[in-house]
Amino acid sequence: MDNSNVILSVKDLVVKFNLRGKILTAIRGASLDLYEGESLAIVGESGAGKSVFTKTFMGLLDANGWIDSGSILYKGEDLAKYKTEDDWIKIRGKEFAMVFQEPMTSLNPLRTIGSQVEEAVVLHQGLTGEEAKQKVIEILDDVGIQDPERRYYQYPHEFSGGMRQRVVIAIAVACNPRILICDEPTTALDVTIQAQILNLLKELQKKYNLTIIYITHDLGVVANVADRIAVMYAGDIIEIGTSEEVFYNAQHPYTWALLSSLPQLGVKGQDLYSIKGTPPNLFNEIKGDAFAPRNDKALKIDFIKRPPYFEVSPTHKAKTWLLDPRAPKVEPPESIKFLRRKWKVKANERSE
Amino acid sequence: MLKYSAKRLLQSVVTLFLVVTIVFLLMRLMPEEGYFGEGYEKLDEAQREAILASMGLRDPIHIQLKNFYSDLFKGDLGESIIYRPKVAIAEILKSKIPYSVKFGVAAMAISLVVGIPLGILMARSKNQLWDKLGTGYIVFINAVPAAVYYLLLQLYVTDIFKLPILYNPDRPSSWILPAISMSLGGTASYAMWMRRYMVDELNKDYVKLARAKGLREKSIMVRHVLKNAIVPMVQYLPTSLLYTVSGSIYIESLYSIPGMGGLLVDAIQRQDNTLVQALVLIYSSIGIIGLFLGDILMASLDPRIKLDRKEGAR
Repeated sequence: MDNSNVILSVKDLVVKFNLRGKILTAIRGASLDLYEGESLAIVGESGAGKSVFTKTFMGLLDANGWIDSGSILYKGEDLAKYKTEDDWIKIRGKEFAMVFQEPMTSLNPLRTIGSQVEEAVVLHQGLTGEEAKQKVIEILDDVGIQDPERRYYQYPHEFSGGMRQRVVIAIAVACNPRILICDEPTTALDVTIQAQILNLLKELQKKYNLTIIYITHDLGVVANVADRIAVMYAGDIIEIGTSEEVFYNAQHPYTWALLSSLPQLGVKGQDLYSIKGTPPNLFNEIKGDAFAPRNDKALKIDFIKRPPYFEVSPTHKAKTWLLDPRAPKVEPPESIKFLRRKWKVKANERSE
Repeated sequence: MLKYSAKRLLQSVVTLFLVVTIVFLLMRLMPEEGYFGEGYEKLDEAQREAILASMGLRDPIHIQLKNFYSDLFKGDLGESIIYRPKVAIAEILKSKIPYSVKFGVAAMAISLVVGIPLGILMARSKNQLWDKLGTGYIVFINAVPAAVYYLLLQLYVTDIFKLPILYNPDRPSSWILPAISMSLGGTASYAMWMRRYMVDELNKDYVKLARAKGLREKSIMVRHVLKNAIVPMVQYLPTSLLYTVSGSIYIESLYSIPGMGGLLVDAIQRQDNTLVQALVLIYSSIGIIGLFLGDILMASLDPRIKLDRKEGAR
């Protein structure tokens, strides 16, 4: 975060869906400031609302979903107010681009790789003909596709999964966006390819000055790439801070639970920790802290009143009553204590 | 592509050869009365044998097959025995096929021109007015026996628009109603399948990516979805082609069009063995040609289709 210009500011966003007449609240008043040039990871369980949250920035919600209240400020405009296709066309690709989870199906099987990347180049870089083609080949080369002149004319079925994901990334980069949203970019790939793709994204971030939002449930991915981490639970960001802060000095019981379930932190001979229960039903109104029913150390107030953000440091805040000065002392689990000891060592090293 | 077409063509020829041979052999199993026409009962055993021998039916089977093929290559389909005795089958067909093809092609053109856009419209307005109207039409056509609405059309539309009731080669206004009636079923099925494939494609991830790329809905439709949805439609080509030649038994009898409709059924009922043989041969050839054309068309649209390599879409 060497450059602390906020380029995207989301305030109290509420997103609802109508599912066969029943109203579901997918995002419950989430706020987020995104800084230029950073990479932010949004982590959380399936169904926490990570994808929906970022889709609202590009107007890509499904037809049965809408922004109920809140604002999304970008370049002085409130994207939450955008309604028509004409509005969104100004944003999609040009300002925000997206890398999807499923490289196997994200490309049109009947059109060549080249033409699909070229579409973005023509649309957003104003190039045509031979110029556009040269640009496409240059971008394909940038994303690590060998022999791009030949690959230009090939079809998606002639590419492996990892290569297809590179093409999807090439399409995103070809749009020349400022913000790149990567929705679980490595989930569908095998482990060796995952690391390659993450490295590639890091390189491209430098080369093209991108601000990247990673959506993932894989904390390993997060540790590799993110400057900051936002933890999402039941449609709200319950803790946000720099990667180190969230990893080593987590404050919210849900973040504790998430970290404790990492195999790396397990104790040999003991069963790996898993969070009991299921995420709350978003059809119902949620009172208090959404995680309270699954938290054995929940306080009484957790069931009554929704916690506000408490600041831990200027860059780190969490929505939990545990941070209230009046709260009783609650011992975090062993694995978190272990991480905090490491955090103290690191802090000492820094101050020396 | 060329290699694929050549291979596919070779396969078609072999299939056709097999089908024709099997049909020929099956026809040899039919009762022999079918070769005599009127007056079979009046002949005694020796006379019957003499006639059969003169037709070459007492030769060993491989000789018969050889003769059959050599006639076939000369374009000789034999003579009808009962349907129109002693008239060359080619002659009969020549007088009938043009009528059926004329109406068949017209009906197919109408079905395509109306059905495909209707399907697209329905997919784009899914669950809205046009979709519901279209679905109503499709359900009606599939649920109500064709004879009912054919009759209703003939009864009322001829009255309202003052159209002639029967077909008359010299009055083009009498051609309209049979062609439209015949197209109704095709329109419904094209619209139904087109809608289905469009909806399928619209839900695919690449459409989401195209949207995120910043393409407008219209360009997504034209550049991505339409072509991908048309590809699976190609599989209906062989049947459509067959219908244009075989004619519609209802329509042709309703408007008294002297076409092919019902000819095969007629020939089978009256045991006109040579005519049955010729018709089955023609229909199966058209079917095979339709399949061949469909495959070639599909391969030219979809790069994943290749006959010579086992890899491809996974």
